Amino acid sequence: MSDIRKWFMKQHDKGNASAPAKPSAPPPEKPAEKPAQAVQENSGRRKTSKYFAKAAAADTSPKEKVKDPTANKRATARKTREVFLDDDDDVKPSPAKKLHKDEDDDFVLPNKTKKSTPAKPAKKLKNAVGLGVAKHPADDEDESEKEELDHKVVETPVKVGGRGKGGRESGVTAGGRGRGGGRGGFMNFSERKDPPHKGEKEVPEGAPDCLAGLTFVISGTLDSLEREEAEDLIKRHGGRVTGSVSKKTNYLLADEDVGGNKSKKAKELGTTFLTEDGLFDMIRKTMPVKVSPQKDLKKKIGGKAGSSQVKSSPQKHDTKDNQSSSLIKKSSVGSFDKRKSGDGNSLTWTEKYRPKVPNDIVGNQSIIKQLHDWLARWNEQFLQTGQKGKGKKQNDSGFKKAVLLSGSPGIGKSTTAKLVSQMLGFKTIEVNASDSRGKADGKILKGIGGSTSNCIKELVNNEALSYTKDWSKHPKSVLIMDEVDGMSAGDRGGVADLIASIKISKIPIICICNDRYSQKLKSLINYCLPLNFRKPTKQQMAKRLMQIASAEGLQVNEIALEELADRVNGDIRMALNQLQYMSFSQSILEYDDIKRRLLTSAKDEDISPFTAVDKLFGFNGGKLRMDERIDLSMSDPDLVPLIVQENYINYRPASIGKDENGVKRMNLLARVAESIADGDIVNVQIRRYRQWQLSQASTFASCILPAALMHGNREVFEPGERNYNRFGGWLGKNSTAGKNLRLLEDVHVHVLASQESNLDRETLRLDYLPLLLKQLTDPLRVLPKDVAVQKVVEFMDAYSLSQEHFDTIVELAKFQGHPNPMDGIQATVKAALTKAYKQGSSSRHVRVADMITLPGQKKAPKKRIAAMLEPDENGLPEENGDSLLEREEEEEEDSSEKKDADDEIDPDHNQKPQLDLRSDKSKGIQVELDLKINDKPNTKKTPASKPRGSASAGKGGSNSGKRRR
Amino acid sequence: MLWVDKYRPRTLDKIIVHEEIAQNLKKLVSEQDCPHLLFYGPPGSGKKTLIMALLKQMFGPGAEKVKLENKPWKIDAGSRTIELELTTLSSTHHIELNPSDAGFQDRYIIQEIIKDMAKIRPLDAKGKRSFKVLVLNQVDKLSKEAQHSLRRTMEKYSASCRLILCCNSSSRVTEAIRSRCLNMRVSAPTPEQIVKVLEFIGKKENLQLPPGFTARIAAQSNRSLRRAILSFETCRVQQYPFTANQAISPLDWEQYVSEIASDIMKEQSPKRLFLVRGKLYELLVNCIPPEIILKKLLSELLKKLDSELKHEVCHWAAYYEHKMRQGQKAIFHIEAFVAKFMSIYKSFLIATFG
Repeated sequence: MSDIRKWFMKQHDKGNASAPAKPSAPPPEKPAEKPAQAVQENSGRRKTSKYFAKAAAADTSPKEKVKDPTANKRATARKTREVFLDDDDDVKPSPAKKLHKDEDDDFVLPNKTKKSTPAKPAKKLKNAVGLGVAKHPADDEDESEKEELDHKVVETPVKVGGRGKGGRESGVTAGGRGRGGGRGGFMNFSERKDPPHKGEKEVPEGAPDCLAGLTFVISGTLDSLEREEAEDLIKRHGGRVTGSVSKKTNYLLADEDVGGNKSKKAKELGTTFLTEDGLFDMIRKTMPVKVSPQKDLKKKIGGKAGSSQVKSSPQKHDTKDNQSSSLIKKSSVGSFDKRKSGDGNSLTWTEKYRPKVPNDIVGNQSIIKQLHDWLARWNEQFLQTGQKGKGKKQNDSGFKKAVLLSGSPGIGKSTTAKLVSQMLGFKTIEVNASDSRGKADGKILKGIGGSTSNCIKELVNNEALSYTKDWSKHPKSVLIMDEVDGMSAGDRGGVADLIASIKISKIPIICICNDRYSQKLKSLINYCLPLNFRKPTKQQMAKRLMQIASAEGLQVNEIALEELADRVNGDIRMALNQLQYMSFSQSILEYDDIKRRLLTSAKDEDISPFTAVDKLFGFNGGKLRMDERIDLSMSDPDLVPLIVQENYINYRPASIGKDENGVKRMNLLARVAESIADGDIVNVQIRRYRQWQLSQASTFASCILPAALMHGNREVFEPGERNYNRFGGWLGKNSTAGKNLRLLEDVHVHVLASQESNLDRETLRLDYLPLLLKQLTDPLRVLPKDVAVQKVVEFMDAYSLSQEHFDTIVELAKFQGHPNPMDGIQATVKAALTKAYKQGSSSRHVRVADMITLPGQKKAPKKRIAAMLEPDENGLPEENGDSLLEREEEEEEDSSEKKDADDEIDPDHNQKPQLDLRSDKSKGIQVELDLKINDKPNTKKTPASKPRGSASAGKGGSNSGKRRR
Repeated sequence: MLWVDKYRPRTLDKIIVHEEIAQNLKKLVSEQDCPHLLFYGPPGSGKKTLIMALLKQMFGPGAEKVKLENKPWKIDAGSRTIELELTTLSSTHHIELNPSDAGFQDRYIIQEIIKDMAKIRPLDAKGKRSFKVLVLNQVDKLSKEAQHSLRRTMEKYSASCRLILCCNSSSRVTEAIRSRCLNMRVSAPTPEQIVKVLEFIGKKENLQLPPGFTARIAAQSNRSLRRAILSFETCRVQQYPFTANQAISPLDWEQYVSEIASDIMKEQSPKRLFLVRGKLYELLVNCIPPEIILKKLLSELLKKLDSELKHEVCHWAAYYEHKMRQGQKAIFHIEAFVAKFMSIYKSFLIATFG
C-alpha cells in the first residue's frame, strides 16, 4: 500500500513541480480551469476521501527524499529540482490541493479495497487508469521510468495502457498525454498531436520586449498553442526561440514531459521549465508595468531559485550590446558613424557600409584567409621563379593559377575579392557581365584598343605592357572575372578563352560565380581553386545589421534583426536594403514590423513545388495574401495540384479548432476533395479546349481552396513514414495504368485475331479475365505436370496468346492484399510450360504481330498489315481448321435443320475434344512445313537487337504467311 | 475455347435470346435497303452477337473473312498533322472499330474513316449491296465533337456506307444521331432466358446440372448472359461434378470493390480515406474502368446503408460520376465521392448514436 501511495504522491508532486518557473503569485487561469474540467469529467464517480488528500500533500517531501537514493546517478540535477519542489509546495498549496482532490477520487477506493483484497484484477486495471491521471512530470522522465519499473514488479501489468487512458481522462492535456505516457519518445517526432485546449485560452499581450534577452526552447505539445503560435508569441515579445537546449537556454517551454532529448538535456543543464500558462503570466505581468520591463523581469527571475542562468544572461546581453556598440565605434572607419541618416541619403546603405577591411565581412572568414594566402603566394609561385620555377611548380602542383569563388548572391564574394586584393596591394581589374567577354580576336595586334576580351588577353599575357601605362604605379594587378556563370550567348567561347587565359596568365585571376555546379563551368573548375562561400548565420548577420542600424540611429532589437536575417536567406545586401527602406518610415523597428514587412517582400527564391505546397498548407498558410497564394500555386501549375491532391488528407486543418470526433475534418475533406475534382474539370477545359484564361480558376479550385481549408499541421498515417509531402502519386499510377492498358490491348488484339470472339477491351478485362486466368493457372496447380502444360498451351493457342500475354493476365489480376494467382504453382511446372510453349512456337502461326507499341521501343513501322485471317477454304486446314470447319458445318446443319439439331450435335460434341487434339497436332506439323520456307528469309531480316526479337520474327513470318494465303 | 465463344450463335436464325429482334432484322435486311442502326443495351445482352449475325446475313460468309489491322491515320488539322493509330477489324464488306480509343481526337478518326470509305465504293457490281458497313463500338464514349461530325457525314455519305452503332446507353448519344438511326434496344436477358441458355450449354457439354444451380448463376450474373456463361464455366473449372450449393465465386475486381466498401463502412477517417485511395488506385491500375468502379462501389455501399441515407448517397454518386466524365483524372472524383460519403455517413452515425 505505501508503495502505491508513494507513487501517486510523487506523480502529483511532479505535476505541481512542472510549473516551478511560474511567478510566485497564483496563476490566474490554471486553478480555475483545471478543476472545473476535472470535476466535469470525474463527477460521475466521485467518492471523496478528504483525509487522503491532505495526507498525501503532507507525505510528499519525505517520501521523495526516501526515494532519492534510487536515483543516485543524477544527484546533482535532482538537488536543484528538489529545492523547487519544496519551494513550490510551500508557495502555492491551493492548486496542489485541488489537484489532489480531483484526481484522488479515482484511486482512493481501489486503494482501500486493495488493502483488504489484494487480488482483484478488474479493480487493478481501473487503478492503473487512475494512476495515469497524475500530471505527467515535466522534469524527470528517467526517474519516472525507473519508478515505473519498480512498480511494474510490484504492481499492475497494464500500466502503460492505463497511463495513456488516464491521460485523457484527466482532461488537462488530453491528446498528447497518452503518448507521453508511453516512454519511447521517438513516435513524437512523426506526429505531434493537437494542443488539447487549442484556441481556448486568451493569448496575452505584453510589453513589446518583455522577454528580451531570454532564450526559449519549445518541447512537446503545449496546452493551447500550436508550436508555431508559441514561437511567434515569444518572438513578438522579444524572446528568442532556438531548436535545442544549450547553456544559453533560459526556459524550456513544455506542458508535458515527453522525455525527449530536450528535457533530458535541460535537466542536465538545470534549465528552468516553463508551462504555457507560466509563459502567459510572464507576458501578462509586464503589460501594465511598461517602465523598464526588462529590469522588472530580471528581478523577478532573479528571485527564483535555480535561475542563475537567467540572471546572468540578460547581463551578458547587455555587455554584448555594449561591446558591439563599442565595436562599431572602433571598426567603423570613422567616416560614417558620425553622419546622420539625413546626409547619407545619397548613398544606399549597401554601398555606404560596404566592408572596408576583410574583417568587416560577415562570415566566411576562413575562406577569406584562404584567398588571402593564395593571392599572397601567387607571385612567388608563378612569377618570381621564372624559368626555374617549373620545378617548383611541380612541387606544389595543387596550386592553381586562378581561384573560383562561388556562393549565393549578396553574401560578399565580390567585396571579398576586392578587399583582399586591395589589402595585398593588387590593382584590381574587374570584368563583369556588362562587358563583352567573348573569345578574343585572332588579331591580337589590335591591342587593348579592341574589345574587352582582347584587352584581357593583353593584360594577362603581356607583362611589359601592363607596366608601362596607367597602372605602372601598381606593380601588381589582379583580374576579377565576375559572374562567370553568366557567360552566355553573347560571350561565345568565353569560358574556353578564360581557361586559355588562365593557362598563360601572368597575373592572378579571380573568378566569381553563383552556382559552382553549373554545366558551363565544368571545364573551368579544373583550373581553379574552388572556394565556396557559405551563407552567414543569422546571428552573424544580425550583429552586423545591428552595428549599421545603430550607426544610422535606428532602434531595432536583436531578435527582429535575426528574423530579418532569417527571412532574406543570407543575403546581406537585401537585408540592408530592407532595413533602409523601413528606416524611411520609422525610427524604431519591432519584431512585428519586420515580420509584416517581410511577409510581403520576402526574397524571391526559386520555389519548388514542394516548398510551394509546404507554404500553402503550412501553419501560416492562412495568413498569405491571395496573390501570394496564386504565385505559389502557379509556380508549377501542373505539379502543385498533384502534390496538393496527394497530401491534403494528411493535414489537420488549423481552422476548425476543436474537433471531438473528426466530423468537422471529414466534412472539410469532402469539400476539399470536391474542389480538387472541380479543378480537374477546369483543367480539362484548359488543356483540351485551350481555354488558358481559366488557369487561375483551376489553381484556385485545385490548390488555393484546399490549402485555405486544410492548412495546418501535417500528420502521418503510416508509422515510419517521413513527415514530408509526398510526390503526387497520380503520375506514377497513371503511367502504370497506361502501360497495363496497352498490355491489355495487346491481349485484346490477339484474342480478336484468334477469331474466337469479338469483344471489346473492357469486356475482356471485366468479364473474361477472371476465367482466362482460371483456365491458364488452375490446371497448372491441379493436374499432373505434363497434362496441365499441354492443356494450358492448347488454350493459349486457341486464343493466340503468347507467354507475354500470360504474364499480362496474371499481372492484371493481381490485387494488393490478395493472393497472387501464381501462388501454388511450382517452379518446375512454370519452366515446363515455358519449354512447351517454346517448343510449339516454331509450328505456331503467330497471327498477330506486336502492334502495340510500348514506350521505350521503336515504333513499329507504319502501314503494316499485321494480321489477316481468312477462315475460308484455304485458310481452314492450316489454322485450327478442322475444328472450325466442323463448327461451320455444324452451323450449316443447325441453320438448315434447326429443330432436331440438338439431338444430332450432341454426339459430335462428345467427340470434339479428342478430335481437337489430334487435328491440332497434325495441323502443327503442316504449318511448320509451310512456314519453314517462308520464315527463313524473314527471320534473317529482323535485327536480333530488337528487344522483342522473337515477336518481330514471328511478325515477319506472319506477314508473309498471310500474303501467301 | 471458352463456352461463351463456342456457343455464340453465328446466324440470325440461331439466336435464342432475342429471337424477335433477330427475325425483324432478317426481314429488314432482306428488303434491299438497310437504314443506319443503333444497337443499345446493357453489357452482355447480345448486341455484338446480333451485329455479327446481321453482317453475315447481309454479306454472306464473306463478312467473316476478317483481317485485323493497326491502321495509322495522318490527318491534316489546320496547322498541324495529327498521327493516330487504331486497331480495325475489317472484311471486304465492313470495317469495325472503336473510335473512342483515340481519346479526345476521336472526331478526326470519324471524319477520316467515313471519307475513306466513301471514296472507295465497293466494286461488287453483281452484288446487291453497293454499300459498306461501318461498325462503331462504344459510341456513347465518343466526345460530343465526334458525334457532331458524325451526324453530318452520316447523311452525306449514306449512299455508299451504312453505320451500325453499338453502345450501352443511348442517353449519351446525341439526339441528332439517334434520330438518324433505327434504334434497336437489346434488353438484358431475363433470368429465365439465361437459365435456358445455360441449360442448353450444359446439355451440349454433357454436364450434370444440380437443380437450381443454373438459376443461381443467372441470379448472380446481373442479367448479363456473357457473365452468366463465363461464371458457369468458371464453376466448371473450379469443381466438377457440381454440387447443389456450390459457391459461385464473384469476379476478382468485384470482390475488391466490395472490400473497399466495407472498409469505408467500418471507419470514416482521413487515414481510412488514404487507404481507400490506395485501393482505388489498385483497381484503376488494373484497368477497371472508373465508371464501373464507382457504380459498383455505390451498389455495394447501398447494400449496407441505412435506408435514410440511400437517396442522398445516390445523388452524390451520380453527381460525381457526372463530374468524372467531364474531368480526366478519375481518381480525384472517386475519391471525392468517398470523402463525401464518409462525411455524410460519419455525421449520420454521430447524430444517431452520439
